[in-house]
Amino acid sequence: MAELLRVEGLTKRFGEFTAVSRVSLEFQKGILTSIIGPNGAGKTTLINLITGSLHPDEGRIFFNGEDITRLPTDKRVKKGISRSFQVMNIFPRLTVFKNVMLPVLARLGKSMRPFSRLEDHPDALAEVERILKGVGLWERKDSIVGELSHGDQRLLEMSIAVASEPEICFLDEPTSGMNPIERVKVLELVKKMAADGRTTFVIVEHDMDVVFSLSERIIVMARGEVLADGNPAEIKENQQVRDVYLGEEL
Amino acid sequence: MAKLKETFKLKPVYLFLTALAIFLLALPQFGGRYLTYIVIHVMLLSLLGLSVNLLLGYTGLLSFGQAAFCASGAYGCAKILLAMDSPSLLAGVFGGLLIAGAVALVIGFLCVRHTDIYFAMLTLCFGMMIYSLALKWRSMTGGDDGLVGIPRAPLEIPGLFSINMSPMENYYYFVLIMTGIAIFLFYRLVNSPFGLSLQSIRDSESRTAFTGIPVRTYRLIAFVIAGLYAGLAGVLLPPLENTVTPPIAHWSYSGEGVIVALLGGIYTFTGPIVGALLFFVIKDVIMRFTEYWLFWLGIIVLALVLGLRGGVVGAIQRKFLPKMTL
Repeated sequence: MAELLRVEGLTKRFGEFTAVSRVSLEFQKGILTSIIGPNGAGKTTLINLITGSLHPDEGRIFFNGEDITRLPTDKRVKKGISRSFQVMNIFPRLTVFKNVMLPVLARLGKSMRPFSRLEDHPDALAEVERILKGVGLWERKDSIVGELSHGDQRLLEMSIAVASEPEICFLDEPTSGMNPIERVKVLELVKKMAADGRTTFVIVEHDMDVVFSLSERIIVMARGEVLADGNPAEIKENQQVRDVYLGEEL
Repeated sequence: MAKLKETFKLKPVYLFLTALAIFLLALPQFGGRYLTYIVIHVMLLSLLGLSVNLLLGYTGLLSFGQAAFCASGAYGCAKILLAMDSPSLLAGVFGGLLIAGAVALVIGFLCVRHTDIYFAMLTLCFGMMIYSLALKWRSMTGGDDGLVGIPRAPLEIPGLFSINMSPMENYYYFVLIMTGIAIFLFYRLVNSPFGLSLQSIRDSESRTAFTGIPVRTYRLIAFVIAGLYAGLAGVLLPPLENTVTPPIAHWSYSGEGVIVALLGGIYTFTGPIVGALLFFVIKDVIMRFTEYWLFWLGIIVLALVLGLRGGVVGAIQRKFLPKMTL
């Protein structure tokens, strides 16, 4: 499997507290990976470091062999890294359509056009239609996003994340706050998007049913460090992981 | 013809716009000098309101410094017109705009790395720095006396045409055309991919960055464009008044821009234009009854802003035209 992303000795401190400590990992193309761990394990901080929301105190990040450690967020997105957020992060005053139109225009290099109308870009319009039909939100394209259900907002957020056609996409707790029906919808969508092979997904999740049903690889973090790294069967059998995190759950 | 009829039948807003255009075009013929003069001021305040709204309503940045760009444009235009042997209105207007844009670029570069209250305070500080310059740099600005004797130069392109701007109505039509072009361009801008990018920055800066958009650069561009709109409001003033004085740079003038935007509705396109009109109507009516007009204006504006969430246009849109973008 080709290496897509590699982090080496990544460390992030907030004052005296070390949120991520000397983490070294590789992410291979096409392998659906989950990062799990107790609250405060450093999962979201690790994603923030990789995606550029935070800058590391130590360590380096390589994407497709290129050092991107100091690259700003927007440039990392252009390289092919995207994410969704733990706390819903969409454009609440805009319509569903415009929420997805923006990343598509940005990807096509048209977001700076000052005097053309949105309907002057048929390639972008067709792409938005394809994405929204794919997640089942096309019928609601003219709705203001703030009026959607929590589950639909999550679906939309994932649509925004993949609309930039990333090579790797980090989904931070994509099913949080969802009812079982919405959760199934999101899981099916992740499976579908992962199966088409365009994007490699890395998921941070607390729900072990979700993690073990989806993942090909699981990384367990605790106290800012990588505790274990392996396939679902290996993680289930790992005594250290059971002691620290999984307990008797499995 | 049938298609035209159908369009008008479907969109009464076109009827309203046509009626408004006819009214504005005919105004100098029946309105007299005072009304013509007031409407010029309404148009200039509309431009300032649009400038504020590009930042506040579309980009999510509250600026208390737009008067600085208005003043930069006004003083720039005045100096150019005063310096020329045979003054040209276009040279003054476009020269002043260039200066306003350059000042906006420098101040914007220093401001757009911050947001929220920090951005508001920075723009306020830079605005007051420009005000201090206008007040104290006597050799350049004339100090508190300002610059006087600014000619209302003819609108001319040598060898092509020359229009005398001395009659108020001629200058009114010039301001009307400039404002019309500016409003049309503003409409295209906010409905373009760039406008959508600004609205997304307003809604979520972090999400926008994760679509691949360099947020700070876009904010700076918006800031400069907003500076140009404020500058346009400024450059059109000296030829009208034949003078320019420091109060045009004062933060309270920036505040007027914020008030008209809030009054009309910051999440609407036409809000600042309607807000500017209301501002002048309220001010004009109150001034007939009391010299404490600012006190009563404050109360009325407060009641309208608090009572009509989203401003006057926002309220009309919500109540009567929920499917339309005003």
